[in-house]
Amino acid sequence: MAYSSWTTSFPEEVLEHVFSFLSSDKDRNAVSVVCKSWYEIERWCRRRIFIGNCYAVSPRMVIQRFPEVRSVELKGKPHFADFNLVPEGWGGYVCPWIAAMAEAYPWLEEIRLKRMVISDDTLELISKSFKNFKVLVLSSCEGFSTDGLAAIAGNCRNLRELDLRESEVEDVSGHWLSHFPDTCTSLVSLNIACLGSEVSFSALERLVSRSPNLRTLRLNRAVPLEKLPILLRRAPQLVELGIGSYSAEIRPDVFSNLAEAFSMCKHLKGLSGFWDIVPGYLPAVYSICSNITSLNLSYATVPSPDQIKLISQCHSLQRLWVLDYIEDTGLEILARSCKDLQELRVFPSDPYGAEANVSLTEQGLVSVSEGCPKLRSVLYFCRRMSNAALLAIAKNCPNFICFRLCIIEPRAPDYLTLEPLDAGFGAIVEYCKELRRLSLSGLLTDRVFEYIGTHGKKLEMLSVAFAGDSDLGLHHVLSGCESLRKLEIRDCPFGDKALLANAAKLETMRSLWMSSCLVSFGACKLLGQKLPRLNVEVIDERGPPDSRPENCPVEKLYIYRTVAGPRFDMPPFVWTMDEDEGLRFS
Amino acid sequence: MSEGPMAVVKPEMKSYIWLQTADGSIQQVEEEVAMFCPMICREVLQTGMGSSKNYAISLPQRVSPAIFGLVLDYCRFHQVPGHSNKERKTFDEKFIRLDTKILCELTSAADSLQLRPLVDLTSRALARIIEGKTPEEIRETFHLPDDLTEEEKLEPLRNLTDDPRIRLLNRLYARKRKELREREKIKNFEVEEEQLVDKRSVDDLLSFINGGDEESKGVKAAKNKKKNRRRKDLATHSSSNNGNANHIKEPNCLPSSCHNGDVDNVSSPSKNSTFQDSASPVFSPKLEFDDGDVDDELDPAMKEELDREVEDFARRLNSVWPERMHEILSLGQERRPVPVSLNGNGAMKRCTDVDSR
Repeated sequence: MAYSSWTTSFPEEVLEHVFSFLSSDKDRNAVSVVCKSWYEIERWCRRRIFIGNCYAVSPRMVIQRFPEVRSVELKGKPHFADFNLVPEGWGGYVCPWIAAMAEAYPWLEEIRLKRMVISDDTLELISKSFKNFKVLVLSSCEGFSTDGLAAIAGNCRNLRELDLRESEVEDVSGHWLSHFPDTCTSLVSLNIACLGSEVSFSALERLVSRSPNLRTLRLNRAVPLEKLPILLRRAPQLVELGIGSYSAEIRPDVFSNLAEAFSMCKHLKGLSGFWDIVPGYLPAVYSICSNITSLNLSYATVPSPDQIKLISQCHSLQRLWVLDYIEDTGLEILARSCKDLQELRVFPSDPYGAEANVSLTEQGLVSVSEGCPKLRSVLYFCRRMSNAALLAIAKNCPNFICFRLCIIEPRAPDYLTLEPLDAGFGAIVEYCKELRRLSLSGLLTDRVFEYIGTHGKKLEMLSVAFAGDSDLGLHHVLSGCESLRKLEIRDCPFGDKALLANAAKLETMRSLWMSSCLVSFGACKLLGQKLPRLNVEVIDERGPPDSRPENCPVEKLYIYRTVAGPRFDMPPFVWTMDEDEGLRFS
Repeated sequence: MSEGPMAVVKPEMKSYIWLQTADGSIQQVEEEVAMFCPMICREVLQTGMGSSKNYAISLPQRVSPAIFGLVLDYCRFHQVPGHSNKERKTFDEKFIRLDTKILCELTSAADSLQLRPLVDLTSRALARIIEGKTPEEIRETFHLPDDLTEEEKLEPLRNLTDDPRIRLLNRLYARKRKELREREKIKNFEVEEEQLVDKRSVDDLLSFINGGDEESKGVKAAKNKKKNRRRKDLATHSSSNNGNANHIKEPNCLPSSCHNGDVDNVSSPSKNSTFQDSASPVFSPKLEFDDGDVDDELDPAMKEELDREVEDFARRLNSVWPERMHEILSLGQERRPVPVSLNGNGAMKRCTDVDSR
């Protein structure tokens, strides 16, 4: 059957050229499974690969299929690891990947890791294996020290980006920074905000001076405020700045020095850091406020009206991360001043306190939703919420892509009516048709899941805690949310039924996390047996699951699809339910 | 009139280049327009062809007359030096509003004529057409065959002849058989010759049932150093006790239950999988069994019972679920769980870095 495709006359280079204009991984992945010829062409010209779960595929398979990769992004632990729900030692080791790539991809340029464990040895291996290495981003990673960083600094001649966002780094010494050779002038981005101890300031200053392309500089807390102008004068071309400590004795000369240095940074668009903020120094940045599009004040733990004054001058603001010190009044001012706002995150200053320490309620969010028509992404901590407020927010912002609401007290009802918040969240999913990410909180019954299953057709990630009444809730989500990729659940009365009834769904998702729920060991075994393309991991620190009756619920369950089979690097408290034996010990 | 290989351009006279398309037809094109194509330019300069009808330059196979007309439109506009960037952009945007098929032919033609700017323009347009489409939609758009196998799409690790589904089914059936046999033994106190099966598989099963760990692997020591964990979470106090009364009692779930049926396409991890609704079979994927592969010497009566049991169980499981759903749906909304005094919920972490995803 001669198939006259309209692209059969294309020489390979032309198709490659077409593919080169596809920027998203999704599109590249789609193209690669269209037909045999496209599969072949695409795999040879694939330069960038994103692997959302490092255990879903093996390094060998990736290398075999895509021989010319230049940029790799890997994610390891599940998201709930951020809340210490994943015990230490669970996994996410990047070493096998680096070892394999060191041989197969000598021209690798970029490595981006999230929630993975990387050792100093591995960092050294990276620094020595890839001659043209340019970008290293370690997001929420751990397992390494400043010695590993020294190796990267010292050996990577063309390094452009070194970004350690929120990683846990063992601080052996601040001298690692001096390992950047004098010949290294290629830095574009340096983020050391997570480092605890001091780095050698003179080394930092010299590094900044000889990096004319430096666009992003995020300092750690140990860099004192008085020294900031020195760096700013060396790098007036900065676009993103993470200020270190923002506290010092208020002295007029320090202030004027600072203000002048800031005024020279005409390209500055993003500010972060601001530890130990001393309000008196905030006006030093006023001169550049009108250019600021991104502001992160979530580390500014001192409440101050000056913060609000600062925010109100940032008329171009698109992204704001702030503590709840901003209160409802501050959010009202935000709503009036920053009409371009797209993303808002409000973090709690005192989440463990029994009583509210600030006057931040649902009203603040309602104000912002009314005043900022471009609002698309919200993360909001508060202590009370009502269905009416949620309905208003949903109607004001039908373009939400991400909505994460965290009412601090679990199972808190609508504070006005004492009813569950089902209707409110239902309104969110109904009005926000493009919603991709949702986090629930408050008092919720199975009904909210019915709404989500019915309306959340584009929902890709859902986080649930202390919600629902029965398996029906989980069933609604699994059977209704067509685009669901990641589902994470804790402390909900969901058991075996919904999971088993929707077992096939799990193969279409990246992963499912369930902890402190009611899924039995027997069901886990069954899933593992039935679906060979899933890894069903039981995480239980009480000991082997078969030492308890089969109907006993497991502590934690992590299910993810994979074509690499069960992994072999599991710690003693993790068991994989395998088809062959029903129970595999690592 | 020009006499040499190169047309001599007098201001009042226009020069033409003669070109022949793949179908044999010959046309003349204004020189400045034709020379905008590097391929034609090179031919003229190197071989001297194109000066007359008899010496028409042959265009590459991929350039049909109709498509060449489009190429000429493009060249005619862009070779004029006077246009502003904005004008060029506007022209381009309008120019590529073409049928996908034509666009493909144009891309191909531009490539063979080495007209780089047009190749870029058309390639970008094709990329935009591809963006956001599923593989199936792309196939339809470009008339491409669906000739990849499921396995190729998924790149399985295992050897294809060692189909995991068959192995799984063997195991399940073997286990079920063993259970039936045990029951028979207890009843009849006799062991029939025909029920003797391969000892190995029974041993396997025994160890499996007893939770054998003959393959326990050495634990890889995690290279984590003890350090103060920076508190990322905000409120995860005591975990809730699970000794709740909400626990759902399962019917004794026999893992060997499965369906007789045809092979379904084992759901591939793609978004296009269809999902089963609640009323459909509980367990999926449906598994096919090939009698020849199952290592049984069971007497047929036994086998029949086995099949019946499996079907029966599956039916029971299926029937319970819709009933229960109905039950729950018909209840009122006033269900309130027993409040448990716990602090904290699945609170979200914050990031220092504004850029983090």
